[in-house]
Amino acid sequence: MTEALVVSNAVLWVLVLALLVVVFALARQVGILYERVAPMGALILDSGPKVGDAAPRFDLPALDGRMLSVGAAGERSQLLFFLSPTCPVCKKLLPILKSIAGAESAWLRLAFASDGETEEHQSFYRRAGLSAFPYVLSAELGMAFRVGKLPYAVLIDESGRVRAKGLVNSREQLESLFTAKDLNVASVQDYLESRAGQS
Amino acid sequence: MAPAPLLDPTLTHMCAAVLAIIFIGGAWHKLRDREAFAMAVEQYRLVPESWAGALAWGLPLWELAAGGLLLATATREWGALLALALLMAVTAAVTVNLLRGRSHIDCGCGGPEGGQHLSWGLVARNLLLGVMALASVAMETTRQLVWLDGLTVAAGTLGLYGLYAAANQLMTNHPRLMNLRS
Repeated sequence: MTEALVVSNAVLWVLVLALLVVVFALARQVGILYERVAPMGALILDSGPKVGDAAPRFDLPALDGRMLSVGAAGERSQLLFFLSPTCPVCKKLLPILKSIAGAESAWLRLAFASDGETEEHQSFYRRAGLSAFPYVLSAELGMAFRVGKLPYAVLIDESGRVRAKGLVNSREQLESLFTAKDLNVASVQDYLESRAGQS
Repeated sequence: MAPAPLLDPTLTHMCAAVLAIIFIGGAWHKLRDREAFAMAVEQYRLVPESWAGALAWGLPLWELAAGGLLLATATREWGALLALALLMAVTAAVTVNLLRGRSHIDCGCGGPEGGQHLSWGLVARNLLLGVMALASVAMETTRQLVWLDGLTVAAGTLGLYGLYAAANQLMTNHPRLMNLRS
């Protein structure tokens, strides 16, 4: 009887240690997976003005009374951010957008766009502390860029051409728009495809 | 020492052995890459930056001493004392930075890969290690030790260390998962 218990005890220890090795290896593999799954760039929904095309021209009154020119050639590039007061991801991106606008102010102007009831947007505009940026309400603008899902961003360069655009859900995806402009590619998907074509 | 609960000798041996492995291993990792550890110390923003270099020597040596003293039964109490003091000091540093909201910094724990961030999980882990340090010097029940107890201590020590490593890995993974989700 004692001998049987000793044997069973030893066998159990071996099993416990083997299981622990397996658990640790699994945790390691999960960690490596997290590391490797790089955040994809902003997803382009394939419609609206193509990257490289001239952006549609608009002159729209902003909520603060100023006029906003969209797609006009100017000294600085323009980042149009389509949002809605009811979209949680949009709110999450606001502080990131503000810090980007501050850091990149030498070459970039930030503007917000939405559509709907003016009062609702006015109060959102005040609460979110966006007074430093133009905020326009225009259904036509959203339609011209074929904005289907929010938050959506369009980067228009100094000459009034669309340089990058797409659905953005994170800082990485926002930054991918700038990277796309720097690398002169339409999107991260395009970039990966062109690399796959080379190799 | 204050009267402690009676523990079976295998348990006290196990606790002392696994703490010794953890501390000596941790010290080795930190000493091997002292520059990275000095940077981690600076990131805690608790001491003047000029101290970081000295602490990058001092803390791992302290850790090494604690681990080494825990190994032998004769010096175990000193080892446990050093280990407890070190755990309290670093856990206080982690807690202060968590309360400051600086959870994104590298904990400097010196795992094989590093990159573990601060979290309350880390505080809980250190508290458990502290409990084990106390357990290693608890009063022992007296009984005849047989060869099977050797197996229990050896395998139990390896098992506890495996759990510790797996828990660390999961704590390292967690912020990465959160990054992916957002």
